Amino acid sequence: MEAFEILTPLSIILCILGVFVGIIFGAIPGMTATMAIAIFLPITYALDLIDSLGLLLGLYVGGISGGLVPAILMNIPGTPSSICTTFDGYPMTQKGQGERALKVGITASLIGGAFSLAILYFFAPVLASVAIDFSSVEKFLIILFALTVIASLSSGSLLGGIFSGFLGVFISLVGFFADNNQLRLVPSFLENQLYYGFALLPVLIGLFAITQILQEAEKGMKTASHQKFEFDKKEKFSFKVFKGQWINTFRSSAIGTFVGILPGVGGSAASILAYSQTKNFSKNPDRLGKGEPEGVIASEASNNGLTGGALIPLLSLGIPGDSTTAVLVGAFLLQGIQVGPLFITQNPDLWSGIVWALVIANIVMFLLMFLAIKYMAKIVFVPKQIIYPIIIVMCVVGAYAINNGVLFDVWTLVLFGLAGFVFAKIGIQVAPLLIGFILGKDLEKYFIDSLKGSGGDLTIFFTKGPIAIVLWVLIFASIIFSLYQSWKSKKTGNDIRNAA
Amino acid sequence: MKELLTIDIKYDEYHIIFPRIIMGILILLVVLMLIKALIKRLKDGSLTQFKFKFFEENFDKLKLFGTIGLIVVYVFFLEIIGFIASSIVFMFLLTILLKGNFQRKTIVISVINSVTTSILVWFFFGYLFDITLP
Repeated sequence: MEAFEILTPLSIILCILGVFVGIIFGAIPGMTATMAIAIFLPITYALDLIDSLGLLLGLYVGGISGGLVPAILMNIPGTPSSICTTFDGYPMTQKGQGERALKVGITASLIGGAFSLAILYFFAPVLASVAIDFSSVEKFLIILFALTVIASLSSGSLLGGIFSGFLGVFISLVGFFADNNQLRLVPSFLENQLYYGFALLPVLIGLFAITQILQEAEKGMKTASHQKFEFDKKEKFSFKVFKGQWINTFRSSAIGTFVGILPGVGGSAASILAYSQTKNFSKNPDRLGKGEPEGVIASEASNNGLTGGALIPLLSLGIPGDSTTAVLVGAFLLQGIQVGPLFITQNPDLWSGIVWALVIANIVMFLLMFLAIKYMAKIVFVPKQIIYPIIIVMCVVGAYAINNGVLFDVWTLVLFGLAGFVFAKIGIQVAPLLIGFILGKDLEKYFIDSLKGSGGDLTIFFTKGPIAIVLWVLIFASIIFSLYQSWKSKKTGNDIRNAA
Repeated sequence: MKELLTIDIKYDEYHIIFPRIIMGILILLVVLMLIKALIKRLKDGSLTQFKFKFFEENFDKLKLFGTIGLIVVYVFFLEIIGFIASSIVFMFLLTILLKGNFQRKTIVISVINSVTTSILVWFFFGYLFDITLP
């Protein structure tokens, strides 16, 4: 089989391990898939790229899927993307159908994951081949488009989202500029430490792991009380549940995948959109929210549909589809590989390795959770007070090791951990900020390169060609869409973005 | 019109063109957000009220500031007393802080957690994987 020619035995083992650990991270409320990947990145220093991708993709799939366990059993979403799973999953548990709900969710997750993987497999190379001929003008506009989409679709206000994105760009500009080797935005006493700007990895780990721990500490870190789950007294799970639900399953998978393709939009938006669509099309909309498998299917198919979707812009354009894939950018950079339009054609083995690793991760996720769900369910009680100190030490080790022992990188970690905590309070959104930070240097490079070509003439961005015009239309469409959404929400009072 | 839309780009200024533009955009956005907030307050008649609260209601001061303090002290001592020693002390104190009591069980758990984790991390990362540790 092709899979075993490309994937090493180690990468398969790591992938399985990754899924297992990912499920644990997803299942413990307050720990997310993004956090799992951020913490495990440092371990990948010692691994080959394909092995590390096996581990990280396993963590990704496991982390997104594990969130359904506490969502269904305790009415607490384990990850933001399983919010909608609580709507019908928990009522099912209350009716004594906990195991049935979990198995419905797990099966829907598998279908969603497989669907999005197929789309990724066929669509990413096509998108990449279109993008290969892009000049710096189009590349600049693509990033600008990514930033406006993130800002307009993420939760909170449009202005705040755009501000967050540009703030991320601004932070990324700290350090030297490659074209003329000049430093900027660096205080003179930190010239040595900040010559290359803030290292990506400590920033990521700080924003996603340290910030989360501080937020939990603020809330007093209460443990979930032990409750006994009533597993299936009345109705056993059977795949017949899906009879009559195929349209719902595939619509939700497709919504998840599509939302995943849009840069910067997280799983919560995907599952809320899928859930509301299911409600619109359902034969019995009144019963949704009271313990219908239909709702669990919608939420879980869509949030796993996100996994493949979010990888599409990453692997074809170099633009991360959500904050979790943004962390994956760090993994590629560690190995010295540039993700972008040339990635798939230049690294065909790696590309099929990624696809196979995702196939394996989805199957392992399904088997692990389906067969061992009763034991997996106990994970939600692992005390955070013991895990968080371990996580902080792992973060510090990771940050310290990134440049072979630079203490300043550890300070960067602490700084961005604190910054993330403050940002959340004052309405600066982390997803646009992070994507701005990751793409900021490229944005600048393409901007300067475009102007060099035109002799400083700004109209080049409008007159370059048809693709540039299409991109401008898309940029304005995303802003108008956002304004329309907020206008509509003011009128009706309910808004997808607010719920996300 | 043409001149308005042309930027003067000189080689020795390449590095500050873009930061200036981004800075300008950020300032513009702040101004816009302020104006928006001001209009909203004028409409609601709540111009002088200030309701923003930074921390959550009844937030856990000890755990929050204790965690921040411990992290900062930990990083400060990392290169001075070495990875294993500083990690053991840090994890021991943090586990007790987050558990929030001094019962025998808590102390035993903290000791086991901090010593095993620190030594395992050192063994796997520093020894097996040859990753640089403080």
